[in-house]
Amino acid sequence: MRGLATFWFRFRRNRAAVVGAAVLFVVVLAAIFGPWFYPVDPFDMVGRPYTVPLDQFPLGTDVAGRDILAGILHGARISLLIGLLASLAATIVGVTFGAIAGYYGGRIDDLLMRTTEFFLTIPSFVLAVVLVAIFQPSVTTVTVAIAVVSWPSVARLARGEFIAHRDREYVQGCRAIGMPDWEIILLQIMPNALPPVIVVASLMVATAILTESGLSFLGLSDPNLVSWGYMIGVARTALRTAWWMAAIPGLMIVITVLAINLIGEGLNDALNPKLRK
Amino acid sequence: MSKATLVFVLRRLLQVIPVVLAIAAFNFLLLKLAPGDAADIIAGQMGHATVEFTQQLRREFGLDLPLWEQFLVYMTRLLVFDLGVSHLQGLPVIDLILARLPATLILMITAIFIAVLVGIVLGVAAARRQGTLADNLISTLALVVYAIPAFWLGLMLIVLFSIQLDILPSGGMVSIGAGHTGLAHVLDVAWHLVLPAVTLGLFYVAVYTRLMRASMLEVYGLDFIATARAKGLSEGKIAWTHAARNALLPVATLCGVQLGHLLGGSILVETVFGWPGLGRLVFDALLQRDLNLLLGILFVSSVVVVIANLVVDLLYGLLDPRIVHK
Amino acid sequence: MTSARFLGLAMAALLAGTAVTALADEPRRGGTLTYTYHPEPTALSTVATTAVPTALISTKIYEGLIEYEGAAMTPVPGLAESWEISDDQLTYTFKLRPDVVWHDGEPFTSEDVKFSIDVIAKGYHSRGRTYFGNVEEIETPDEHTVILHLSAPVPYLIRAFQAGETPLLPRHAFSDEEIAEERVRQAEIMQAPIGTGPFKLQEWNRGSYIILERNEDYWKEGKPYLDQVILRVIPDGAARAIAVERGEVDLAPMTALPPPEMQRLGGLPHLVSSQEGSEGLGPIMWLEVNLREAPLSDKRVRQAISMAIDRERLVDVIWYGNGQPARGPVVSGNPNHFDASLEPFPYDPEAAEALLDEAGYPRGDNDVRFTLTQNFLPYGEEWVRQAEYIRQQLRGIGIEVTNQSLDMGGWLQRIYTDWDYDFTSNFTHNYSDPTIGVQRAFISTNIRQGASFSNSMNYANPHLDDLFHQAAAMPDGPERKAIWDEVQQILREDLPVIFLIEIGYTHIWNERVHGLITNGISMYSNWDSVWVE
Repeated sequence: MRGLATFWFRFRRNRAAVVGAAVLFVVVLAAIFGPWFYPVDPFDMVGRPYTVPLDQFPLGTDVAGRDILAGILHGARISLLIGLLASLAATIVGVTFGAIAGYYGGRIDDLLMRTTEFFLTIPSFVLAVVLVAIFQPSVTTVTVAIAVVSWPSVARLARGEFIAHRDREYVQGCRAIGMPDWEIILLQIMPNALPPVIVVASLMVATAILTESGLSFLGLSDPNLVSWGYMIGVARTALRTAWWMAAIPGLMIVITVLAINLIGEGLNDALNPKLRK
Repeated sequence: MSKATLVFVLRRLLQVIPVVLAIAAFNFLLLKLAPGDAADIIAGQMGHATVEFTQQLRREFGLDLPLWEQFLVYMTRLLVFDLGVSHLQGLPVIDLILARLPATLILMITAIFIAVLVGIVLGVAAARRQGTLADNLISTLALVVYAIPAFWLGLMLIVLFSIQLDILPSGGMVSIGAGHTGLAHVLDVAWHLVLPAVTLGLFYVAVYTRLMRASMLEVYGLDFIATARAKGLSEGKIAWTHAARNALLPVATLCGVQLGHLLGGSILVETVFGWPGLGRLVFDALLQRDLNLLLGILFVSSVVVVIANLVVDLLYGLLDPRIVHK
Repeated sequence: MTSARFLGLAMAALLAGTAVTALADEPRRGGTLTYTYHPEPTALSTVATTAVPTALISTKIYEGLIEYEGAAMTPVPGLAESWEISDDQLTYTFKLRPDVVWHDGEPFTSEDVKFSIDVIAKGYHSRGRTYFGNVEEIETPDEHTVILHLSAPVPYLIRAFQAGETPLLPRHAFSDEEIAEERVRQAEIMQAPIGTGPFKLQEWNRGSYIILERNEDYWKEGKPYLDQVILRVIPDGAARAIAVERGEVDLAPMTALPPPEMQRLGGLPHLVSSQEGSEGLGPIMWLEVNLREAPLSDKRVRQAISMAIDRERLVDVIWYGNGQPARGPVVSGNPNHFDASLEPFPYDPEAAEALLDEAGYPRGDNDVRFTLTQNFLPYGEEWVRQAEYIRQQLRGIGIEVTNQSLDMGGWLQRIYTDWDYDFTSNFTHNYSDPTIGVQRAFISTNIRQGASFSNSMNYANPHLDDLFHQAAAMPDGPERKAIWDEVQQILREDLPVIFLIEIGYTHIWNERVHGLITNGISMYSNWDSVWVE
C-alpha cells in the first residue's frame, strides 16, 4: 500500500502525466459508454453525405452519409482495444523470452539475440503489412501482427534487466538456499526488472495505435468494424472537398497517443526515480 | 581503414550473412502462405481465363514445382545475387528495384537528414536551457509531433500547402511533361520532395530531439564537462564541441536501427504522395502476388538495414575514440 | 441535386458543347495529350495482360486487322484493307495493306498476322482459345493475303481482330528459342514495343510516366495529329483529380478518378465529362451468389435479397451517380441485345421479409434469420463502401452479414478455386456480344474450378445452356434477339446472381482535346485523329 502511495506521489508531481491520464480517462469513458449514450450505428446511412459538422450531426457525415461522431465513438473502442491487446501480448512474449535469455545466458541467450536481430532487420511495418494482408484483415490478425513486430524490443530490454540482476547478492542468496529457477525469475528478479518494462509497454500502446491506424489507412483493417485509421482512409478520397472528415479522426489519434505518451513519461518518473534528471 | 577495422567489418559481415539468409527463407515461406499466386492475378486481369491458361502461366513462372524445389531454386539463385524475374512485369527484379531505389533513398536520406539536424539543434538547445520556457516548449512540441500518424500529417499538409495555399505540389516526384534537365530538374525534384520529406522526417525530429536532450543532460553530469567549465571555456563551446559529440552516440545508434522503421514509414508516405519509391512497390507487389519482386525488395531492404547498422558501428568508433575494435 | 445546380451543370455542358463544335472541324497537327491512370501498366502489349492500364496504352502502339466505327461498333478496315467471309462462315480472307512498316522499319507481312494469331493469340491470350479455337489452318498465299479456315462458324469472330483483342506483333522480334520455350511473355518486345500504330515508345520512366511519340512513317496520310501521348502515373486518386483540374493532365479515361472527384470536376467549365464511348464494353456489376448451400440455394431468398437493396440510392450515394440500376444480365445501353421489356428491379424490404418468412427463415434470436459472409472485389474504396451499405440493408430484413476483406489473390482463390464463399460483388463486361460476355458466367460448362470469372455459382440450367449454344452459332437478327430475350428473362427470374448496377465508365478531359469519342471502345482505339488546341 505504501508503495502505491509513493508511486502516486511521484506520478502526481509530473503534471503533464496527470493531464494525460485525465484525457485518456475521458477517451476510455467515451469508448465504453459513448455508443450507449449515442446509439447510432456507425455504418448506417443516416443522412446526406458530406454534411458539415455542427449542422445536422455533431461532427457531420462521411462520404456515405454515415454519422462521424458514431464512428469516432466506436472507433475509440477498436483503436484502444487493439493498442492494449497487442502491447500486452508483446510484453508477455518479450518479457518471457528476455527473462529466460538474460537469466540463463549462454546458448539460449545467443539464440534469442539472433532471433531479435532477425526481427529487427525486417522493417517492422512492412512485416505487419505482409502478415495482415496474407492472413486477411481482422481484429485478431491486426493485433497479432502488431504484437509480432513489437515484442523484440521488450525482449531486449527485459534481457538487459535480468542480466543486471542475475548476479546480485539477493539472487545468489536465493540460489544458495536452493530456490528453483522459475521462482527466482518470477518472484525475485521480476518485481525489480519490471518497472522499466512497464514504461516501455505503456509507450508501446501508443505505437500500436499508430501502427493500427497506418494499417487501416492502407485498407488492412477489420471490414466489420470502424477504427480511426479506417475513417481517415475513407475520408481520403474527399480530402479536397471535405478536409475535416480526415482531420477529426486524426486529431483523436493524436490526442490519445499523446495522452498515453504523457502517462508513459509519468510512469517513468514514478517507477525509475533514479533516472530522473 | 585500419587492419583492425577491416577485420571487425569482415567478422560482422560473416555474422549477419546467416541472419540475412534466414530472413530470406522466412520471407519465402511466409509469402507462400498467401492465398493465390501471380498466375491467378494475371488470369484475373484478363477477365475470363481458362484453367489451362493459368496453369501455363504457373509453368512459365516455375510455380508448378513442389514447394521445396521452388525454395531450393530461390535460395540457390540468391547465393549468386540473382533475384529472378518479376512475374507481372517480365523484367529482372534487380532492374525494377534499381529503378525505384533512388527515389526511396532520396526521400529517406532527406528525411533522416532533416530529422538528425533539427533534432540535434533542438535537443542541444533544450538541454542547455533545461527547465526554462524554451525547453518546455521544445519538449512539449516534440511530444505532440511524436503522437502524429505520419500519413495523416501528410494529408493535412496537402490540405494546407497544396489545396488551400496552392504553393507546393501534392504528389509525384517531377513535373511531368515539363521536361526539365540539369539544375532545373534537381530543383523540380527538390520542390516535390519538400512535403514528403517533412512528413516522413517530422516524427524522427521528435525522436532525435528527445533523445539528444536526454543524452546531453547525461553528458552534462560527467566530470569532463566540469573540467571544461573550470578551464573557463564558453558554454556554447562546451555544448557543441564537448558535450554534443559524446551525446551523439545514442543518436547514431538509433539512426541505424531505425532505417528499417523508416522504410516501413515510407510505404505510407509514398502512398500519400505518390512518390515512385520502393515502399509503394512493396505494397503493389504484395497485392499482385509478384513473389520474386516482393522477395527481392524484402531481401534488398534487409541488406540495406544490415549495412546501415554496420556503418553505425564504424561511426561509433569515429565518434567515440574510447571504442577500439578488438 | 438541386434544380439550380443541375441547371448550372446543364449550362456548362451546353457551353462546352458549343466550344467543341466551333473548333471541331479544323483538326490541328502537333501538341501533346497527357492522360493519367493508375495502376501503371505492367507491360506494353495485351499479350502479357489485358488489364485496363495495358490495354489503354498498347492500343496506340499496336494495331489489329480491323478497327471499329461508331457506337454500334461497325468493323472498318485497319491493317487489312478488305476482307471476305465465305457464305458458310468457314473461310475468312484478309487483304493486307501493302505499305505498312513496323516501328523498326521492317515491312509488315502476312507472316506477322499468321504468327500473331497462331502463336501469340492462341498460345498466350486468355480469350485466344475462345476466339480461335475453331481455326484449323492459316494460309498465307502471298505477303499480303491471309486466309483463315474454320472447322465451325464463329459468328462473333470478326470482333476478335481489333487491336485490344488481337494485336498484331512482328514475328521478327521473337527468337525461335523464346517461342519454343514459351518465354514469349519475357521477350524484350513486351517492354520495348515494336508495332505499326500511330505512336511508338519514346521513354518509360517506371513509376512516373510513359512517353509515346508520333510515328512519322504511319500509314495513314497526315495522321496522327498529336506529336506525343503521355501517360502520367499518379497513384493517389485525389492527386490525379487535381492534376486534371489544373490542366497538368488532359484526360482521365475509364473512371480513373475517385467518384467524388469526378462529380466535382464534371461541374467545372473547362472540363468535359462523358460516359460515351464505352458502349462496346458493357460493364455490369452483380452480387455473385454461391448456390451450393442453403439458404442461398433457395430462389426466394435471392429474390428477397434483391428486393432489399436500394439500387437507386446505391448508385447515387456510393457511386456518385456513376451508373444506373441493372435490369438484367445485358446492359440497357446495348442496342442489339438488351430486352427492353425488362423493368427495373423492385426495392421492397417488406415484400422481401414476407418472402423470407415464406421460405422458412423466420426471425429468430436477436431478430436474425440467418447469417452470411460477404466478400467484395478489391477494386477500391467504393467497393468497400458498397459492401458496408449492403450489409446494413440486409441487416434490415434480418440477415446478419459479416464482411470479409481479401486482396485480389485471396479473392480469386476463394471465389474461383475454393468456391468457398456465400456472396460477393463482381464486375464484368458484356463486350460486344453476349456470347462472349454473358454466356461465360452462366453456362454450366463453365463451372470449372480455377477458371477466373467463370460460373462460380454452380448454376446449371440445361435449357439456358441450350439457348447459349443456339445463339453462339447464329448471326445477329430477330431470331437471335428472341433467344437473348429469353436468356435475360430466365436469368432475371432465377437470379443465380443478384444484378446490381450498370457502372458507367466516365472519361473526363480538358476541353482543348478533340476527337476522343469515336466508337464503342474509344479509349482502346489508336487516337490517330485526336487533336488538341
